[in-house]
Amino acid sequence: MLDLLPQLLLTGLTIGSIYALVAIGFVIIYNITGILNFAQGEFPMIGAMLCAAMLAAHVPLAPAAAVAVAGTCVVGALMERLAIEPAFGGHPLTLIIITFGVSMAFRGLALLLWGADPYALPEFTPGAPLAVLTGVLGRQAMWAIGLSVVVVGALFAFFARTLPGAAVRACADNPFASRLVGISPRRMALFAFTVAAGVGAVGGIVIAPITGVTYDMGLGLGLKGFVAAVIGGLTNAPAAVLGGYVVGMIESLVTGYLVPGYGSAITFALLLVVLSLQREGLLQGAGRRQV
Amino acid sequence: MSRDLAGLAALAGALAVVPALAPSTYVMALCNIIGLYAIVTVGLVLLGTSGQVSLGQAAFYGIGAYASALLSRDLGWSPWLAMPCAVGLVAATAYAVGLPALRLADVFFVLATLGVGIIVNVLMVQLDPLTGGASGLRDIPGLALGGRRLTTDRDYYYVIWTAAIAALLLARNLTGHRTGRALRAILGSEVGAAALGIDVSRYKMRVFVLSAAYAGAAGALYAHYIRFISPSPFALYASLFFLIMAVVGGLTNVWGGLFGAAAVTLLDQFVRAEMPRIFPRVGGEYQTAIYGIVLVLIMIFFPSGIVRGGLDLRRLLGGGRHPATTPGAAGAEPADGARA
Repeated sequence: MLDLLPQLLLTGLTIGSIYALVAIGFVIIYNITGILNFAQGEFPMIGAMLCAAMLAAHVPLAPAAAVAVAGTCVVGALMERLAIEPAFGGHPLTLIIITFGVSMAFRGLALLLWGADPYALPEFTPGAPLAVLTGVLGRQAMWAIGLSVVVVGALFAFFARTLPGAAVRACADNPFASRLVGISPRRMALFAFTVAAGVGAVGGIVIAPITGVTYDMGLGLGLKGFVAAVIGGLTNAPAAVLGGYVVGMIESLVTGYLVPGYGSAITFALLLVVLSLQREGLLQGAGRRQV
Repeated sequence: MSRDLAGLAALAGALAVVPALAPSTYVMALCNIIGLYAIVTVGLVLLGTSGQVSLGQAAFYGIGAYASALLSRDLGWSPWLAMPCAVGLVAATAYAVGLPALRLADVFFVLATLGVGIIVNVLMVQLDPLTGGASGLRDIPGLALGGRRLTTDRDYYYVIWTAAIAALLLARNLTGHRTGRALRAILGSEVGAAALGIDVSRYKMRVFVLSAAYAGAAGALYAHYIRFISPSPFALYASLFFLIMAVVGGLTNVWGGLFGAAAVTLLDQFVRAEMPRIFPRVGGEYQTAIYGIVLVLIMIFFPSGIVRGGLDLRRLLGGGRHPATTPGAAGAEPADGARA
């Protein structure tokens, strides 16, 4: 019973790394625009699907992955321009409903383009898995965990060390004052959706060799990523990444030790608990954003 | 307000002649589904009147269906007893959900209802011995009226639309009087409403429980009408579907709820019939692409609903004349609260 534990934790860490990447996208967009983007989980799906489509056209993996990430960034930018920008400044609920609409649209279009069958991507570096205690960690799982850490580090460096990063932080802190010093909140919103889409695509491409990719994986990923972001306090990217690992491990432990099938129920029960515990903090956060 | 009653009478009259004009099973079945969805949507609109949105309505719809089905099938209760008990159970569930959830700020309340919806759907699939798991429940007893078993779609047409009109009448009475004014005041400003002596949290709880009860009643009727239920019609996508119906109608207009349910159901039928001709190879739920785009377009161009948006458009085209005050239309004016 106990010797199952390392394996379950490693699996949870692997799955958690993609939740973490989705959660980072949530946090970036929420911080800059105050919008909860429930189409966030569609970006990993789109990224992995684009990559699979290019592999089918005999493009090597590395350029295919790069083009897929860039393509997903374009999709994110288009989403901001076509669906979010026209309703900018509307009621927060209006914007949330729009993101659900976009999520449905992406899902339906993906089904039309790529069909209902699952696609698989090859492992980045095939090879023997690494033994950790009584469990094993596959090469691709190492890629997933490693990339989630690298992406968080890169984003952190960007926000903390560069001038454009400072502009984004300024916009998140006080959109009105940023406009006075020449930072356009609209452009920042476009930037937020583009980056969030790209981060999501990285997650989708790195996890697809393990889990496969289907047109309908987006909604579930988006909701799990959202739970991870809420656990992390919704405005804190490193905490959201930890939230992603927590959600992944809880799911893995529930599936391994309790009963398979209840994983998502437990995750959302956790969401309800966290929501009611963090009530004051969340309310203040939401109140600040609406002003 | 008497225009509302005249409208209801006209609706009842029109509904009474439909079976004579178009007695086909298809039309009757379509009308029945519209009636059931209209009950859920009107409940969602009642909730919208107070400025709240729920993404858990499909769960309440499902609890109503499962509870009534189990009580009548496994315990042998009469469906006429099982249905009110199922509605009571749904209302109690909504109360238990609302206690913590209604304290959250509006956006997070939506997310809490979404979480509840997903949990309930997982339980429907996983509690196999009770709910029959993914394969669902068969042989649910149908309804009987005055010793006669209801068997045809036309029999159920009368039952379902009687319930739908009762639901509309109750919603219209609530929104047209003190409760409605209080709810619109809460929509305008919760703080302002509280300052006027409106017990904000109690009204919000009541309208949330009532909207869940609407969904539960529709679900119970659905179970005895279709006589087979499985978890899939009660998943998150159904909640989004109900939300689309409500926003098409304008989220705060009771009549809009009826319009939205009918418009979206007819669109759904049209799409299901026409899409295979355009894309013959593809199967599955690809029509969600269209609903998603429709939802986005409505929220961008008609945030107060098509019915209301059409009125605004007409006013715009008519050179800025003041629109006739439509009873029960999206009256979010906080001034209404002063009279509550």
